[in-house]
Amino acid sequence: MKRLGVAVFLFLMLVSPVSAQTVDEIINKANLAAYYAGQSGQSDVVMTITDAQGRQRTREFRILRLNVKEGAEQKFYVYFKRPTDVERMVYMVWKNIGKDDDRWLYLPALDLVKRIAASDKRSSFAGSHFVYEDVSGRGVTADTHELLGEEGNLYKIKNMPKDTKGVDFAYYLVWIDKNNFLPMKAEYYNTGGKLVRTVEALEIKDIQGYPTAIKSKAVDLERKGETVIDFTNVVYDAGLEDSIFTERYLRQPPTQWIK
Amino acid sequence: MLKKLITFSLHRPRAIMWVTLVCVGLALMQYPKMKVDTDPENMLPENAPVRVFHRDIKKEFSVYDMVVVGIVNHKNAEGVFNVKTLTKIYNITEEIKGIKGVIAGEIYSLSTKDNVQQGGVGEVRFNWLMPSPPQTQQEALEIRDQAQNNPMFYGTVVSEDGKALCLYIPVERKNLSYGVVQAIKKIVAKYPGEEEFHFTGLPVANDQFGVEMFKQMAISAPLAGLVIFLLLWFFFKSVILIVAPMLIAMATVIITMGLLIGFGFPVHIMSSMIPIFLMPIAVLDSVHVLSDFFEKYPLYNDRRKTISAVMEELFFSMLYTSLTTFAGFFSLSFTPIPPVQVFGIAVAIGVAIAWVLTMTFIPAYIMLMNSKIFANFHSSADQEKSPYLDKVLGFIRRVVSRHFRLVLIVTVFFVGAAFYGISRIQVNDNPVRWFEAKHPIRVADRILNKHFAGTYESYLVFEAKDQQREIFIEPQMLRYVEGLQKAMLTTGLVGKTTSLADVVKKIYYELLGGDKVNNVVPPTKQAVAQCLISFENSHKPDDLWHMTTPDYSKINIWVQLRSGDNKNMQKVAQHVAQYIKSNPPPMDVTFNWAGLTYINVIWQNNMVGGMLNNFLGSFMIVLFMMLFLFRSPIKALISMIPLTVTILFIYSLLGFFGKDYDMPVAVLSALTLGLSVDFAIHYIQRVNDVNAQKNDWRTSTEEMFEGPGRAIIRNALVVAIGFLPLLFAPLVPYKTVGFFMFTIMAFSSVATLFILPAIVYWKPQWVFEQQGKGVTCRCSSCLLVAFFVACAVAYVLLGYTPLGWKLTTWLSIFVIVLSAGLCHLASKRRICLNQGGQK
Repeated sequence: MKRLGVAVFLFLMLVSPVSAQTVDEIINKANLAAYYAGQSGQSDVVMTITDAQGRQRTREFRILRLNVKEGAEQKFYVYFKRPTDVERMVYMVWKNIGKDDDRWLYLPALDLVKRIAASDKRSSFAGSHFVYEDVSGRGVTADTHELLGEEGNLYKIKNMPKDTKGVDFAYYLVWIDKNNFLPMKAEYYNTGGKLVRTVEALEIKDIQGYPTAIKSKAVDLERKGETVIDFTNVVYDAGLEDSIFTERYLRQPPTQWIK
Repeated sequence: MLKKLITFSLHRPRAIMWVTLVCVGLALMQYPKMKVDTDPENMLPENAPVRVFHRDIKKEFSVYDMVVVGIVNHKNAEGVFNVKTLTKIYNITEEIKGIKGVIAGEIYSLSTKDNVQQGGVGEVRFNWLMPSPPQTQQEALEIRDQAQNNPMFYGTVVSEDGKALCLYIPVERKNLSYGVVQAIKKIVAKYPGEEEFHFTGLPVANDQFGVEMFKQMAISAPLAGLVIFLLLWFFFKSVILIVAPMLIAMATVIITMGLLIGFGFPVHIMSSMIPIFLMPIAVLDSVHVLSDFFEKYPLYNDRRKTISAVMEELFFSMLYTSLTTFAGFFSLSFTPIPPVQVFGIAVAIGVAIAWVLTMTFIPAYIMLMNSKIFANFHSSADQEKSPYLDKVLGFIRRVVSRHFRLVLIVTVFFVGAAFYGISRIQVNDNPVRWFEAKHPIRVADRILNKHFAGTYESYLVFEAKDQQREIFIEPQMLRYVEGLQKAMLTTGLVGKTTSLADVVKKIYYELLGGDKVNNVVPPTKQAVAQCLISFENSHKPDDLWHMTTPDYSKINIWVQLRSGDNKNMQKVAQHVAQYIKSNPPPMDVTFNWAGLTYINVIWQNNMVGGMLNNFLGSFMIVLFMMLFLFRSPIKALISMIPLTVTILFIYSLLGFFGKDYDMPVAVLSALTLGLSVDFAIHYIQRVNDVNAQKNDWRTSTEEMFEGPGRAIIRNALVVAIGFLPLLFAPLVPYKTVGFFMFTIMAFSSVATLFILPAIVYWKPQWVFEQQGKGVTCRCSSCLLVAFFVACAVAYVLLGYTPLGWKLTTWLSIFVIVLSAGLCHLASKRRICLNQGGQK
C-alpha cells in the first residue's frame, strides 16, 4: 500500500502543473455547471442597472431554458414583465454550435416578430452591463486556456481568444470553484493590459442538488456602472417542452410557464 | 509726506536701489508658480448659472469636451472610403484609445459605434459599423452607405460627399486637449499617405491658445521694450537718460506680474497683455521728469535742488495723469467678467507702482550717476527741438487759428457720423478666430465645417416640469422635438441636430423593414419604449443616455453649428425661443441651453452690457477728477471732449468696416479714457499756466504749439508706438489691441491739438475763467456740477440698486431741480455778491 501511495504521489507530481487536458476539463465542467444545470431550467429575474451617476433602472423578466444537447445546443425564452412599457416583449435564442445563434424579438406594441442578426455576442443584454455571452455562455473552444494556478479553493485560468475579431477584450481571467466548478469571478483586460470589466457570482445556492448562482454582478470599470442580477423561483427539470421555443409562442406566450 | 519721500530718495539713493531690487527679486521668485488659463468659460464666474447648468448637463448626459480629428482624402475617387484609408483610421483609432486623458470608451468613430440595418428577409441586424478594417473596396463602400444612412453618423462622422471622416475624441479635462492632439499627431505621423489630418474643436483652440500666448508674451513684450527704447533714443539721443525709464518699466512689469502670480491669479489672455500695457505707461512720467531735469540742471547746477524743483513743478500733472490712468483701468474691476477685473486691477496697481518708482527711483538714479555726465547735457534743451514735429505742429496751428469754426463743425460732423457707425456695430466673438486665418486650427475649422454638419456643439435640454417621468418617450413629445429640430435647420446656421427622436425613428424604420414611410416616430409610448430596449441590446446601450435620462424626464438635443460665431449661436437660440413661444410644447416642460458655444454667448452679452456700463462709469470718474483738478465744471467738460470724439470715432470704424465688437475691443473702450485724457490735462493745465504769465489768450494758445505740443505728441507716440509690436503677435486679439491702442493714442493726441485750441478761439472765456471766484457763486457752473452729480447718482442707482430707468430718471431730475434751487441761493450769498462787487 505504501508503494502504491508513493506511486500515486509521484504520478501527481508528474502531472502537475496540470496539463492542458486538465485545464480544458475544468473549463468544460465549469461550462456545464454554469449553463447546463438540469435538462431545463426556469427563473424569475430582476436586473438592477446602476450607471456611473448612481441612477438605477430595473428590468424584470422570466427566463426559460432547455438543453437540446448537453454542453452544446440550447434554447432560451426571455419574457419581459417590467418596465410596463415593454411588458410582453419576448426575446428568444437558439444557441447553435459551429454557426451563429438564431435570435428573435417580439415587440407587442408593434405586434412584430423580427429575427435579429448580430455579428458577435459581445453586445449588451437588454441595456445592462452583462453581455449576451454572459447570459448564454461563451463557447469553450473560443479561447485557449491556461491554468495560472490555484488560489485557495479556486482555479485561476487565463483565457486568450483565438479570434480577436468581434471581441472587446484581449484576454480574461476566470476563477473557478474547485468543488462545484462554478465560475466565481471573471476579469476582462484590454489590449493595454488594463482591467476593464468584471463579472462576479455574489451568492450561490443549492437548488435541487444543482449549485446555482442566484446573484451576480457585472461591473464596467471604463464607463463605470454596474448591473446586479437576482434569480428567484429557480426550478430545474420542470418539464419544459421544445414546442415552447418556437415563433408561434412569441405572440402567444405559454401562460403556465411565465407566471 | 511726498517731500520726505523725495528727500529720502535723494539722501539714501542706495537704499532705494536695494529696496527696488529686493522687490523685483521677490516678484521674480513668484514666477515659477505661474498658471495659465485660456478657457473662455472662465470669462464667467465659476458659479454663473449657465456654467453650473453646463456642468450639470455634462455630467447628467455624460457629454465631454471633444477633440475633433478630421481625415480628408481628395486623391482617391471614393474619398476616405477605400481599404487603405479605412485601415489607417481603424489602427489610428485603436492607438488613440491608449492615450492618457482620452476617454477610450466614448470615442465617436466608425469602429467604435454600432449600426442597425436590414439583414436578410424579416431580419434586422445590429453590429459594429466597422468591427475590423475592410478587406475589399466593396466592403469599404458598404461601410460608407451604412454610415450615410444612419442619422447618428451622417454629417457627424461621415461627410456628405464621402471625402472625409471625423473622429470625436472625448478628453477627461479640457486642458489636456493640447497634449492629446500632440499625441495623436505622433500616431498619425506613423501612417503617411494621401490623407490630410485636421484637428479642431473648441477645447483644442483654447488649449492651443495658451501655448501660443506664451510665445506672444516672449515676443511682443520684449519687442515693445525695444521699440520704446529706440523711440526714446530717437527723441532724446542719450542712452543714460533713457536707461532709467526703461529700468522703471521693467521693474514695474516684473513686480506687477509677480504680485498677480503670487496672489494665485492665473495668467489669462487679458493678463498676458499686462506687460505691453504697463511698459509705455510706466516710462511716461519718468521721461517727463528726466527731460525737465536736464533742461533745468544748468540753472541750479546742483542735482538735489534741480530734482526738487522739477518734482514740485510736475507733481500735480503727473499725479493726475497717473490717477486718471489708474481710474481708467481700475474701473474694469466693475465689469462682470473675472479675467477683465484681474487685468484692470493689475494694470491699475502697475500704474501706481510706476508712479512710486518715478518719485523714488529717478531721484536715486540721478544721485548715483557719475557727475561728469551732467556736463554733456547743457545742450540738451536744443536737442529737444525736432523739425518733423514742429512742421506738424505748425500746420495744426495755422489750420486751427484760421479755421477754428471749420474744425468745430468737422468735429460735430465726425460725432454725428460716429453715431451712425456705432449703430451698425456687430457684437460677435469666436475663440477659433483668435487665431490667424493661416493657422492650422483655422484651416481645419474651414475644411471640416465645409465637409461636415458643424464642429461647434451646443446642447438644447428640455426638462419635464414637476419631475414628471417618462414624458420624453411620449410620441407627441418626440414629434414636437422632431419639429423643433427641423425648425432649427431652417436658420441655415445649424448643420445638424441629433436627438432621441432620431434614434427612435431609425430603430423603428429598420424594425419595420426599412420602408421610408416608416421613418417616423412610432405611434405609441410602448412602441417607443420597445424600440429603445431593442437599441439597448447593442454594444453601446449607454449612448442612449447622452440623449435622455433613464427616467425619460429630460431630453438633450445635440446641435451642431457650422461656425463658432457667437452671433450665430445667439440667432439660433432666439429662433428656438421664438419657435417654442409660437408652438407651445404639448406637455409642461422647460428648456435651457448648455455647451461651450452657448456659454460664449452669455459672457459676450455680459461683456457688452458690462463694458458699456463700465465705460460710463469711468467717464464719470474721470470727469469728477477733472472737476477737482480744474475746479471748473466747464473746463472739466471741455477736457473730456477730445477723447470722447476719439472713442466715438474709433468705435464707429468698427461699424463702418464690419469688424466685430469682440472681447479685446470691448475692454479697450473703458481704459483708453484714462490714458487719452492725459493730453487734455496737459493742454489745459499748461495753457492756463502760460496765460497766467502772458495774460493774453491768443499768444498763450500760439505758444502751446511749441514745447507743450511737442511734449503731447511725443507722449502720444511713445504710448502709441509702444503698442505696435502687438501687431506682430501670432494671435488676433493681440493684434486688435495693438491696432486700437495705436489708433486711439495717435488720434486722440491729434484731436486734442485740433479741438481744444479751436474751442479756445471760439469761446476763450470758457478755458480762461477768472480765478478766485468759487464755483458756487456762478449759477451756470453750479448747475453743471449739479447735473454731473445727478448723472453720477443715476449711474450708481442704475448699476448697483434694483431701481429701474423710470424711477432713476425722476430721481435725477429731482436732484437737478433741488440743486438748481440751492445754486440760485448760493450765488446770492454775500461773499459772492461782494466778490462780484469788487470786480
